[in-house]
Amino acid sequence: MKNITIDWTDALAGILFILFGLLFGVQSLGLEIGTAFRMGPGYFPLVLSGILILLGLAIIASAIHDRGSEAIGTLAWRGAFFILPAPIFFGLTVRGLGFVPAIFLTTLIAALASFKMRPHSALLLAAAVTVFATLVFSYGLGLPFRRFGPWLPF
Amino acid sequence: MDLISNLSLGFATAASPENLFFCLIGVILGTLIGVLPGIGATATIAMLLPITFQLEPVSSLIMLAGIYYGAQYGGSTTAILINMPGESSSAVTAIDGYQMARKGKAGTALAVAALGSFFAGTVATLLVALFAPPLTTIALKFGAAEYFSLMVLGLVSAIALAHGSILKALAMVVLGLILGLVGTDIYTGAPRFTFGITEYADGLSFVALAVGVFGIAEILRNLEGEQDRTVLGTKLGGLFPSRQDLKRMVAPMLRGTAIGSVLGILPGGGAVLASFASYTVEKRISDHPEEFGQGAIAGVAGPESANNAGAQTSFIPLLTLGIPANPVMALMVGAMIIQGIVPGPNVASEQPELFWGIIASMWIGNLMLVILNLPLIGLWVKLLKVPYHVLFPIIMAFCSIGVYSVNSNVYDLYAVAFFGLMGYALLKLRCEPAPLLLGFVLGPMLEENLRRAMILGRGDPTVFVTRPISLTLLLLTVAVLVVMLLPAIRKKRDEVFVEAD
Amino acid sequence: MALTSKLAGLAAGAVLTASAAFAQTYPERQITMVVPFSAGGPTDTVGRLIAERMSADLGQQIIVENVGGAGGTLGAGNVASAEADGYTILLHHIGMATSATLYRNLAYNTTEAFEYVGLVTEVPMTIVARKDFEPADFASLISYVKENADTITMANAGIGAASHLCGMLFMQAVEAPIVTVPYKGTGPAMTELLGGQIDIMCDQTTNTTEQIKGGTIKAYAVTSPARLEIFPDLPTVAEGGLPGMEVSIWHGLYAPKGTPPEVVERLSAALQSALADPGIAEKLAELGTAPSPAADATPAALKAKLEAEIARWKPVIETAGVYAD
Repeated sequence: MKNITIDWTDALAGILFILFGLLFGVQSLGLEIGTAFRMGPGYFPLVLSGILILLGLAIIASAIHDRGSEAIGTLAWRGAFFILPAPIFFGLTVRGLGFVPAIFLTTLIAALASFKMRPHSALLLAAAVTVFATLVFSYGLGLPFRRFGPWLPF
Repeated sequence: MDLISNLSLGFATAASPENLFFCLIGVILGTLIGVLPGIGATATIAMLLPITFQLEPVSSLIMLAGIYYGAQYGGSTTAILINMPGESSSAVTAIDGYQMARKGKAGTALAVAALGSFFAGTVATLLVALFAPPLTTIALKFGAAEYFSLMVLGLVSAIALAHGSILKALAMVVLGLILGLVGTDIYTGAPRFTFGITEYADGLSFVALAVGVFGIAEILRNLEGEQDRTVLGTKLGGLFPSRQDLKRMVAPMLRGTAIGSVLGILPGGGAVLASFASYTVEKRISDHPEEFGQGAIAGVAGPESANNAGAQTSFIPLLTLGIPANPVMALMVGAMIIQGIVPGPNVASEQPELFWGIIASMWIGNLMLVILNLPLIGLWVKLLKVPYHVLFPIIMAFCSIGVYSVNSNVYDLYAVAFFGLMGYALLKLRCEPAPLLLGFVLGPMLEENLRRAMILGRGDPTVFVTRPISLTLLLLTVAVLVVMLLPAIRKKRDEVFVEAD
Repeated sequence: MALTSKLAGLAAGAVLTASAAFAQTYPERQITMVVPFSAGGPTDTVGRLIAERMSADLGQQIIVENVGGAGGTLGAGNVASAEADGYTILLHHIGMATSATLYRNLAYNTTEAFEYVGLVTEVPMTIVARKDFEPADFASLISYVKENADTITMANAGIGAASHLCGMLFMQAVEAPIVTVPYKGTGPAMTELLGGQIDIMCDQTTNTTEQIKGGTIKAYAVTSPARLEIFPDLPTVAEGGLPGMEVSIWHGLYAPKGTPPEVVERLSAALQSALADPGIAEKLAELGTAPSPAADATPAALKAKLEAEIARWKPVIETAGVYAD
């Protein structure tokens, strides 16, 4: 007797692919499909979405097997919570605050993602990165960044 | 002996103290900027372009060429050290290069990359000098049908990029293809999957995708078990490859050079396939395919050689037709025009000094790169000794700057965050990112050429098999598929899969 | 009441003096010129050329920022919403006029959102074909196209591109619906034309001059009102029987609406002095074009040009029924 188990990692992956397939497939339907000979913008993505859904189903099917499954393991919640917003924050503030404060705060936010980072060393690191990046990109390469933006009073 | 006199004219031009100096400066700047995470060759050249405007035309282009090689090498360095590729080609290097780095063989990986690039660069430079015009004739035979078949071949080979489940690799390729279609449809102008955001009208940024699914996903993975392990650099091992390592890189290097040289000639995007194709070939013919994805030297030597050879031969369409084959070449054309040289089919006869000077400087640039970088390897590797919790905020800062600087598009930064999340989720679900990236690069080209071939062929699908080059490529595709689906090999893959876990 | 109006008067006075003082000291810091296309392209080249010379005249550095995307409308949108202080300016080409029709949901109102600085240059276009294309001259090309409309293929560099605009005009002029094949940019389109994969194209001299000179493609006509110095043998479209098909890719310099008039004048003067530089003329000649005369490098001339071009292209684009959104 073999023990039938479901590998949840694979099953979840399959579900994710199916969701992506549905998301793009439904949107493709809103585009002109055209014919195989004169394809519209929706034709190719629709076909691809269909294939993606089929592959997702196949992955789910193959997740049911007798090999035992594997745990997903720990998740980097704290990391994700600070790392992912860092580039978003930079995008939101680089024009308004200007390059210098934006890069300082972005580095600071990213630094908070680690348990090992002490507040004062995070500040020090952010300051060092800011000085280096400003010297290299703004002064050295003359990239068209405003160092201090219109949101700041000076 | 035209070649000799031409080459000596070229070397006389390129080796003037002034031009040597600018070539060196270019290589150094290119390496230093290109090595910053999230900043690939295209972004580096765009940033450094204005610096070259003040120079004489020949010096300016020689310096640009130096920047290009430097940036490419710098990009590979980041890919190997921190899994953060800035260009599609270095995404392949990241697969095995980063694994080597994790095993304390970062120095070896960097040296292999440098030596492979130099060898490939030397051969490809000779090819450019010898055969540029006839090779152009071949390149022009490639129409939409041929490119479509080439892309299909590339996609089928992509499965080999993954070392896990074939099904998941396929799904990742398809997902990549769809993501590649985001943006305005060039045939009708209809926006696709942009969710109403005009900033995505020209598609998602490759750098955003690569930084997200490779780099950020990897940072998050490293942060998982922070408390109980040091991530990198516990043992650094020897900096330089052993004799045995060198022996093992020779054959992949030769094959990679050949593959890259051929694909680089095609102006319609052959060069992007070079490193992927080389990786596939190496993995297929290796006696130890299970090593791939775990830090195989061939997985670094082959693709790096292919990539550099392709980079070199992609100058051919530019030099003989005056047509840029990729965004980097487009920047070079811009630089030429600003210098008052309009590139065209006559550049070689009207400006022999420039033409041969650039060709000679390609080789000189590659030589400088090796001389410069072999000693630098020690320095790069030392970077890994920086505690990870200090390193990754720096990485995040630079990749934010890098992604933003390409087009000043803040939505590219939002895409980085989204793809970071998606990449991490997929990583946790044991889906590998490399096939996704290849799909993303090929998606638009695949569709574009398919639709174009159908329009040009008046809706007759037989165009793909009636044109000889296209037919050959499709037959090759079938052969690859057969080999891949042979039961024996399949079983082997499954074993590998189990072992790997 | 009295107090408020007094305050308002004071405020207005303050603004006036501020703006006058502002104009006297302008420019105090570096100016950003937004080029709404990627670095290295033809528009970027024009932008960098004039930015360099204008910097010399203004005594402050003008740096070029490439904000590519959506046919130049992203960069234009950025400038439209930028501070109207003269430190952000926009270099755009004919797409400024055509995008008003091509894009039905622009984030800005093309004729309301900008102050005009002046016209920079006009690049003529050429009608070209693969080198073994049958028709011998422009007249026979027209009749050939009419007879074989369904087998001829015409390349363009994507919707809204110069080659696409010219192609639409050509098709409407010869009244033949040719099969059009879009490419991603001029480079790939030109490659396929060189390889004989496609029949005809209409593109700027910037892209075609060297190929025509090299004999790798065949040229039929130029779209300028008069023959070009570099191609004295090429007839104009009007000579060939298609009057009204004249088209050029013109570039203009803009500032956000509300930029003080003194500042606009200062920029305009700097533009004129840059265009009068023989070095600029020489470089532009390499691109197959010439600087706009001083009379055209003025706000009024650019305003007139933009309005005329919007009116001209609206029916052309609507007839073709092609939109970029």
